[in-house]
Amino acid sequence: MSDIQLYLLEFDKDKKETSRIAEQSATRLQNGELKLVALIENLGEYINNEESTLRTKAMAYLAEVLSFTPQKVLSRHQRNLLCDFILSRIADDGEGLGSCAKGLLALEERGKWDYERATAVIEVLINHTHPLRQYKLQTERYPVLTLIDTLMAKYRDALRNLHDTTPDFMARFISYFEGEKDPRNLMVVFSILKVPMIEWDIGADAQELFDAVFNYFPITFRPPPGDPYGITAQHLKDRLRDCIASTPDFAPYSFPALLDKLDSTSVNTKRDVLQTISSCVKEYGPRTVSLYSITLWDALKFEILNAQEEDLAQEALSALAGIAQTLADGSSGPLNAYLRPITNECNEHLEDAPTKQSQASGQILHKIASTSPETATIIISIILPNLYTLYQTADTTAKRRGLLEVLVQLIRADIEVFGEWRSLGKFTGDPLATNPLDKFGSRTLEVMANGLSTAPIKEVSFRLVCLNGLLHLTKVRQLLDDQDIAKVIQLFHDVVITEESYGKDEMKAAAINGLVEISHQKPQLVVDKAFPAFMAELPDTDADGSLTYLPVLEAFAKLASEEKVFDKVILRLKNKLNTAVKEHASSSYLVALLSAILYALNQGGVQLEQSSESSPYYQDIVLPLLSQVSSSDSSHQHAFDNETTLDLVGRICSIIIRPQSVEIQNKISKEIQSLFRGFSFTDVPPFNLNCTLQQTKWMIVTAHLLGAFRKEVALPSDTQSFLNALIQFTQQSSLTPPVRAATLSQISLVTNKFITTPTLNSLLEPILYPPTDLLSPSSLNPTTIRIIFAVLKGLVLRNSTLLSTIYPTLLSFLTNPTYGTTVAHGFTTLLQPADLLTKQNHCIISGLHKQKTFTLLVPNIAASFRAAEKETKPNYLIALSGVLRWLPFEIVQEELSQLLPLLLQSLDLKGEEGVKESAVGCLMKVLERNPGMVEEHTGSLITRLLSTATPIATVGSLGNNPAVGKATISGARAGVVNGNPARVRAVALKCLAMVPAQLKMEVVLPFRRQVVKKLAAALDDRRRIVRTEAVRCRAKWLEVDEVGDEDD
Amino acid sequence: MDPDKDNANPTILNPSDLPSRRRESSVKKREDGGVGLFDDLIPAYTYLNDPFDLPASSSDSDSDSVEDIDAQEIYDLISSISDPEHPLSLGSLAVVNLPDIRILPPTSAGSPISTVVVEITPTITHCSLATVIGLGVRVRLEQALPPRFRVDVRIKKGTHSTDEAVNKQLGDKERVAAALENGTLMGVLRKMLSTCE
Repeated sequence: MSDIQLYLLEFDKDKKETSRIAEQSATRLQNGELKLVALIENLGEYINNEESTLRTKAMAYLAEVLSFTPQKVLSRHQRNLLCDFILSRIADDGEGLGSCAKGLLALEERGKWDYERATAVIEVLINHTHPLRQYKLQTERYPVLTLIDTLMAKYRDALRNLHDTTPDFMARFISYFEGEKDPRNLMVVFSILKVPMIEWDIGADAQELFDAVFNYFPITFRPPPGDPYGITAQHLKDRLRDCIASTPDFAPYSFPALLDKLDSTSVNTKRDVLQTISSCVKEYGPRTVSLYSITLWDALKFEILNAQEEDLAQEALSALAGIAQTLADGSSGPLNAYLRPITNECNEHLEDAPTKQSQASGQILHKIASTSPETATIIISIILPNLYTLYQTADTTAKRRGLLEVLVQLIRADIEVFGEWRSLGKFTGDPLATNPLDKFGSRTLEVMANGLSTAPIKEVSFRLVCLNGLLHLTKVRQLLDDQDIAKVIQLFHDVVITEESYGKDEMKAAAINGLVEISHQKPQLVVDKAFPAFMAELPDTDADGSLTYLPVLEAFAKLASEEKVFDKVILRLKNKLNTAVKEHASSSYLVALLSAILYALNQGGVQLEQSSESSPYYQDIVLPLLSQVSSSDSSHQHAFDNETTLDLVGRICSIIIRPQSVEIQNKISKEIQSLFRGFSFTDVPPFNLNCTLQQTKWMIVTAHLLGAFRKEVALPSDTQSFLNALIQFTQQSSLTPPVRAATLSQISLVTNKFITTPTLNSLLEPILYPPTDLLSPSSLNPTTIRIIFAVLKGLVLRNSTLLSTIYPTLLSFLTNPTYGTTVAHGFTTLLQPADLLTKQNHCIISGLHKQKTFTLLVPNIAASFRAAEKETKPNYLIALSGVLRWLPFEIVQEELSQLLPLLLQSLDLKGEEGVKESAVGCLMKVLERNPGMVEEHTGSLITRLLSTATPIATVGSLGNNPAVGKATISGARAGVVNGNPARVRAVALKCLAMVPAQLKMEVVLPFRRQVVKKLAAALDDRRRIVRTEAVRCRAKWLEVDEVGDEDD
Repeated sequence: MDPDKDNANPTILNPSDLPSRRRESSVKKREDGGVGLFDDLIPAYTYLNDPFDLPASSSDSDSDSVEDIDAQEIYDLISSISDPEHPLSLGSLAVVNLPDIRILPPTSAGSPISTVVVEITPTITHCSLATVIGLGVRVRLEQALPPRFRVDVRIKKGTHSTDEAVNKQLGDKERVAAALENGTLMGVLRKMLSTCE
């Protein structure tokens, strides 16, 4: 059998096999086994068959063989013959058009056509297959369109010449594509038509060409699921928009048509229209746009002045700005003509300020003015004089606020165009442009400064606008002189420092943020003017017991976020701290000052990194602080024995030492145990068990120092004895809880980063097992349990292999009658985000540690729970929730079906509020991410949440009998209290509120009555936060059957 | 814009100027006058907290302080209702105002029933939607207050041309119930209440 016969046999059965046959023929052609003449001869019988399907299939064979034939196998002459042959098929037959086009494409790829050939191809197509829509299969039309697209791309001149010489070619060409509906084909059609739009002289055909594409506007296509071509509505919209915006010749048709569609009620259509207008005004050029600018303004303004949807207003604004931008490229006449009605209308709206329209006017003016220096100048010089007149005569503060809001918008636009002190604007480089605000600068400053200082303190919104305006005014490049800016700075710090507190203190917050921004523009001015004022407000000591310093201190610390003044802020705070220490200030004042320093250092973290070699702050801050802590002579301040103070000192030292190099840290490390007192490390904690109470507290500071070290740093003593000393030290009963916690943290730090993996096992062996034998049931007590978890914490983060041997022992302790519950509570520490064990503290933190602990623990806990005695069951639930609460949902969901019943049972525990909170939190995650899992437990979930959230007495007693209902109402009042704290009640309600939206309607509906009824009790909860959640939750449940209502 | 609106251009209060609970409590809570800038410096899970000691130190502040439902709470419940014709809240349109909300204690010692009186101020005196707004406020309060409260919503005297008639309508239980059977009206109400927090 010949290849064609095989091909025809397989054609309807196996696509792959047919391709293989065609490929084989191609190979044989290449080898010379098969002559082209023979191939055509074999084909002859079928390609001329009476059966049209046979003809189609035969053509498909030819096209496929050609596409598999390698380059240069066919001679030029053969290609020409084949082309002629295929073209004659198109002209005579019409069957198998898609294959013909594929064949031509394959031939074109194998040798460039000449001018005449390209012309002939397009002529045959247009003359014999017009219109294309007569071919019903989109797969048949696609190759034809691709062929024409190729012709457009590679033989542009030929086609263009055809258009120039053949009068009706264009009309036939346009109508050829009419009625195309397939998205993939349309993408090609748009790209074909874009070429004549842009490059050809279309003259009389403009409208027809425009209609050919605009008929598809707006695109409402939604891709079918699993669309193999992956074409989205956005792709189509983008190409269509490019077509419409392609040539100014379309303007007479496009603008009216688009504005007509703007009246549509569909938001999507409107958005499309506005985006298309934006593209058009950008592409059509100043001459064309000037003809339509006012028409467009008249239509677009409604979208902004009476905005229904915020994003439509934004699109409309961009379109208006686009017009101004295009016009600014042309002569000044059209620009003026365009801006005149706009400024007139906005001026009118300003008269009624504050209204939605006056606000919208502000947006319009801002957006348009920020397009170019010319527009900014025109708008500012027309609007501002009128605005001032209105301001002068305004009779209410509200009106003044409305006017100033517009003024601020104009200043912002001015900044965008002409720049700030520290950064250039879009057009600052233009030497001809002078800033139009120059004329109004002092006037504006005066008005707003006046407003800020004279308006009553309760006019918050008005004063906020003044403040915002002043801030922007100080930013405008080269507008105000330093004296004026100093005036603004003073106004701002007056608000922060001297003004009395009012409401939410929005003014103070805004003023301090304003100062931070000004210090970015003019750092020296802020240092000179505002800093002394702040310092004067901070007392040297708080002996009089006043607390007024705190807001000032907070504000001052915030200034550190500006890098230009960071150094100065730290310096002043440090000096203040030194004075306060000398003057015996109370520890609460010192805590406040230390907090401020820490806050400031956190803000300026970048600068600390930069000076990683030898930090000046180390000499200036760390050493003096540490010597203050460790002094034992008369200069020692008792304020430094306070644990909070020591913690802050530790944190401050840590943040400074952290970025230093290993060499520098090595030098520091020798001294840390004794805090630079020069004692031997054996005389101080943790090695000396007989030190003073003051000395034991050093552990809090050294914990932070240890945290700051890189893991390569050598510790003063060897790790084994250090670890042993820490364990010994922790077990002293005289320690205060914070000191003990600090010691435990040091244990975690050592096991995490100061022991290398190969030595880990040998180092921990003598601690976990005899002689120290922490993991023996007989050595369990509250302190050893803490030590075990401290060691584990270090191991968990580094994903140590030891975990798999330690965890089973630990789980077995849960059955311990005395200490089981204590052990259970420890599990929450394992995955809790750690304060000291962090990446910044150079700790080893494996990305998979949560996953590992989950797999090692959770399935085991779930299994043991089922087998456990009744008394020890709660321990498993506590341990489980301790692990789960820190895990991301992705990890938890693996075991979800097992865990859900356990989580629900956790809600029944008595007194374990932390456990309940975490269980509810976990249930919320499940509801949010995988609600289907919960469905089978719906009833149990709802009942448990209700009983967690509502007073005990109401559960089960609120029947249909109204008398019983009344009894519980008064019962709730009389003080029948739910055992759960408010936080748990609130979170349970939050979870319950998620149920109706996340679960299927038919699952939820049966519970609606019961839930709504029982929630009435929660509405009368003693605590406001619970009531708020109850209201929210009840509203969600009340909505449940309302969907059904609408159907009636 | 929709030309049918009774008042196309009402006065709007800025959110900064509306009464709110947060303002009052934040001032009371922080006697030092700070804004709590330094509160986050030490993480909530600081190593200094001992997870083993937690169960002992809780819920003590919970049971002994009762926060009663007050006018501000009622205000918070209804100020976020949307106006039926503007995309704005009743609070920012000053339709509901804090001073116009009163809670009357039970009339006799034996009765647990308190009454909430809310007087609403239509944006203009001939506002045809005053009844709908009143109904919205009423429905919201009935859903959100415990059953021991009776809800009385009325138009503030002298702020509406037909306030007497509207009040009669709002006070009539049967007519309210009948109104709530009306599908279109419920649709409007649902839309108004959908912005409630």
